[in-house]
Amino acid sequence: MDPSFDSEKVAEIHRHLHSHLPPEPALRVKALESLLVEKGLVDPAALDAWIEAYTEEIGPKRGAAVVARAWVDSDFRARLLADASAAVAEMGFAGQASGHLKAVENTDTVHNLVVCTLCSCYPFAILGMAPPWYKANEYRARAVRDPRGVLAEFGVTLLPETRIDVWDSTAELRYMVLPQRPAGTDGMDETALAALVTRNAMIGTDDLRGIA
Amino acid sequence: MDGVHDLGGKEGFGPIDRAHEDDPYHTEADARAYALCVSMRAERAYPVDWFRHTRENMDPVDYLTRPYFDQWLQTAIAMAIDAGDLSMVEVATGKPDSLARTPAPMSPADVQAMLTTPASFEREVSEAPAFAPGARVRTASHGHPGHTRLPAYARGAAGEIVAHRGAHLMPDDGARGIDRPEHLYTVAFARGDLFPEAAGSPDRIHLDLWESYLAAI
Repeated sequence: MDPSFDSEKVAEIHRHLHSHLPPEPALRVKALESLLVEKGLVDPAALDAWIEAYTEEIGPKRGAAVVARAWVDSDFRARLLADASAAVAEMGFAGQASGHLKAVENTDTVHNLVVCTLCSCYPFAILGMAPPWYKANEYRARAVRDPRGVLAEFGVTLLPETRIDVWDSTAELRYMVLPQRPAGTDGMDETALAALVTRNAMIGTDDLRGIA
Repeated sequence: MDGVHDLGGKEGFGPIDRAHEDDPYHTEADARAYALCVSMRAERAYPVDWFRHTRENMDPVDYLTRPYFDQWLQTAIAMAIDAGDLSMVEVATGKPDSLARTPAPMSPADVQAMLTTPASFEREVSEAPAFAPGARVRTASHGHPGHTRLPAYARGAAGEIVAHRGAHLMPDDGARGIDRPEHLYTVAFARGDLFPEAAGSPDRIHLDLWESYLAAI
């Protein structure tokens, strides 16, 4: 059958699942994995492939390499800001949720912050798995209403006149922040610079300007 | 849908817990739940907004309290039951009724392809966009039953078109099984226009919104 696209029907299925599945999350996952594998709905080798990809290969190191290149190569920086999907593909990082990627640049007067208030949309291909706090109710509720309070909790304090641009990624566009290059890093090469770039800086909850 | 998933601007939430922020997966069960959910997606082509809407229809207490990928997995299971690929009896007993599967489940090669091939949601439309950058617009004042990507905190609000993003598949329709593209815009709102305590703040909140969510001012 095709999906029913019926809200009431899936809400009822959820209620039944709630009562039929073990209450402890780890046991629930285990019970479902064994059923799905036995029924042939999933291949255990595919499960391992997904988990390994985001453990070994795909993670915030990719985003850090993109940022470091933008810091040292002004042509690349211009391409990244004009079409981030193409710029990250150039570096071999095209993948999940990178098809409509936008890079937003921090400046002396603007600080960018990314959230998804409706679910937890995130640019997996360049930042890997989202940190738990990004998916948590607290961050999703507060980032749009109290961005300065949220940033203060992450140790980021901005001047009152600095504008915060919040990007609530409610469509299929995904956002990464291009942080400002730390002062005193003029002599550093791309690899050394990439090591300074944190995942949180690319979401907007870190400020690298003073670190070097 | 006026569900608890629509969290933006809701008050009463406390400090942000940064535990495990550098682990790709929170727990082993989280990793397994994630992999099961994404592996089941090959079983049947469906719009991503049907997945989102099915998750939104989880019991509200479960939505707010259960681990993230545990919710994804229950959503994938609910979708499989809805589409007849799995039965509630099988879930309840843990024993499959039948083993005959077509097509074959997602393979590691399929996973590699998905990990390296970005999806595009942009489509051609014949209509010209109604708004140009710089135009002032007001968002719809009400939501509607079913899926939508206009958050409650930005309803009935005045903002400015920052960019036209082409025409993208419309999520409200996608969650009903209808593929229909519509012009998509990035709209900037003054934070002070959305939240009274932020009056006078220089901050802006940006949302990517479809044309039918917007009216000219």
